[in-house]
Amino acid sequence: MSSGGGGFGGGFGGGHRGTPHQDFELNLASIIDCFTVLIAFMLATASFLSIGIFDAGVAAAGAQQASATPPPVHVAVELRKDFSVEVKIQGKENRTWTLAATKDGSWDYPALTAQLEDIKKRWPELSATTLQAQDLVEYNHVIKTMEVTKKTLPLILLGGF
Amino acid sequence: MFKKKMFGKRSAMSGEMELQITSMADIFTILLVFLLKSYATGISVNPPKGMMLPSAQAADTQVEALKLEVTENSISVEGQPIATLTKFQFDTADLLGNHASKSLGASLEKERKRQILIAQGNADVKIDPKIIIIADQRVPYTTIKSILATAAVNGYTDFKLAVVKPE
Repeated sequence: MSSGGGGFGGGFGGGHRGTPHQDFELNLASIIDCFTVLIAFMLATASFLSIGIFDAGVAAAGAQQASATPPPVHVAVELRKDFSVEVKIQGKENRTWTLAATKDGSWDYPALTAQLEDIKKRWPELSATTLQAQDLVEYNHVIKTMEVTKKTLPLILLGGF
Repeated sequence: MFKKKMFGKRSAMSGEMELQITSMADIFTILLVFLLKSYATGISVNPPKGMMLPSAQAADTQVEALKLEVTENSISVEGQPIATLTKFQFDTADLLGNHASKSLGASLEKERKRQILIAQGNADVKIDPKIIIIADQRVPYTTIKSILATAAVNGYTDFKLAVVKPE
């Protein structure tokens, strides 16, 4: 007695006469080939840096443009190259504070945070600040200051031009 | 019967064997899904070689906008170098009175005109004020000021500053 078989190639062969049985092995080799090429391409082009984005506006456009009602006061933070920070408030209150550099010669971020929180307590409707720096202050210091300032005043406008 | 058994044993002993690739296919599928997901959710920013982005905790928003890269020697818009820098600074001849850069301004103006043209042809497209700034952490603020001034003059007022999130 011959085994019959469907004659559908290796996969379908060997069943009952006339009805090829459903047991067959999927040929995964070609799929693996495709996956290997795709994965290799994606690994080669993927960036493993976790990139984040800081939003900033232009101070020249004015804090007024960002909100419909102009705030009663305007706060400006200026980074100086001697690592001191000047915090200036203008409007219904006019004052300037200079926060000296820390003993290890860096920006005094805890003092800046405390100062901004103090201002925010007095003017709760305040949400924006203008950040500027002297010419030689490096970009990473500006970013670090933005990160600190955003915790108290979330809207940052870059100025100085 | 005896013969059959003997042949069976012999074939099992032979060097031919089938590699089990089903589990391999599973692993590859998982890898592919993971990579596709990270492609889809990440911001498509690939900093040039040698660039050190500033590090900060920032929002993980997905933004698509005009990309401006600032390295030690050049400024590129959408990967095309458009201005040369010397130690992160513009040549004084390239700067205008309001700190804006001539060469960068020309490139941004071209991009802006292209956007306006597209917006005129398609009502669904709006002119985008967003610009992604991918700058090295050592860039002095004077260069950043020039870039911001040039961008603002050309209608790009919503700055997206790219940073690396710490692990």
